Amino acid sequence: MTASEQSDMLAGLIGTPTSHSVVVVERGPVSFFADAVVDDNPVYKDPAAAKDEGFENIPVPPTYPFVMDHWGAFTEFQSGETFAGIGPALGALMSKGGLILHGEQEFTYHRPVVVGDVLVGKGSIVDAYQREGKGRTMTFVVVETNWTDERTGDPVVTTRFNVIHRA
Amino acid sequence: MSQQRLSFDDVHVGDQAPEKVHKLTRTDLVRYAGASGDFNPMHHDEVLATAAGQPSVFGHGMFSMGFLGSAITDYVGAGNLTHYKVRFSRQTWPNEVLTTKITVAGKRSEDGHDLVDLDVRLVNAQGEEKVIGEATAAVPSAS
Repeated sequence: MTASEQSDMLAGLIGTPTSHSVVVVERGPVSFFADAVVDDNPVYKDPAAAKDEGFENIPVPPTYPFVMDHWGAFTEFQSGETFAGIGPALGALMSKGGLILHGEQEFTYHRPVVVGDVLVGKGSIVDAYQREGKGRTMTFVVVETNWTDERTGDPVVTTRFNVIHRA
Repeated sequence: MSQQRLSFDDVHVGDQAPEKVHKLTRTDLVRYAGASGDFNPMHHDEVLATAAGQPSVFGHGMFSMGFLGSAITDYVGAGNLTHYKVRFSRQTWPNEVLTTKITVAGKRSEDGHDLVDLDVRLVNAQGEEKVIGEATAAVPSAS
């Protein structure tokens, strides 16, 4: 690909949907995840401690929304739609070698996520661009996922990450 | 824990949250792989990691963000975060001692919420920054 073809390819990625999932937030995974990030706050384990702190149910640690797809996207709740995600874009870049890095991660919280929530997440590529520097080409692909409450449609948490391809 | 509540009136720019210190182990890497579903072998398979030119397995960036997040919520109270963002600047390695550094960078009131902005970092014993970022929490005023 020429530089201008590559630039067109990246511009064409913006707006591409990457995911549509329905997840259930469950107590076991939340408790295990809290242990895995060395978080000993009892609100993640004990419903009474969570109620004392004003939560309707056990809340989740701040970065749990990054992994909840892994735990709670049960097949029967999914729409059946499939998405290629960011795989094809990264595949095109990796065909010439290089390294993929997780560059940045961001969460915007609209309300606490709690055990029992059923959330709908829709992700899409919101930016894609290249930067040259130090003899390297860095390609940035930014994916945003908006999670809403399945029952009310209200926004719950917005996650955003960028993946960097370094060649 | 959040029993000792942070109040907007008592927090000042430059205040530092209590540090959390943790020595990273290979067991932490395996536990985080299971908890997150991230089974990239670079994080648990020493044979593959060294064959790929790495000195050893290395930590998940999201473990660093999660551990730093626990120190943030210990300070501001679980459920009070409105925003948390980091940049991953260096890999973490088994046996490194990781320390959270959280400093109050600003205070503001917006849409009826009293917000505290934090500068957040995770560093090793040599002071090398592993993740650098920012967080915002809505904290109650003193009752």
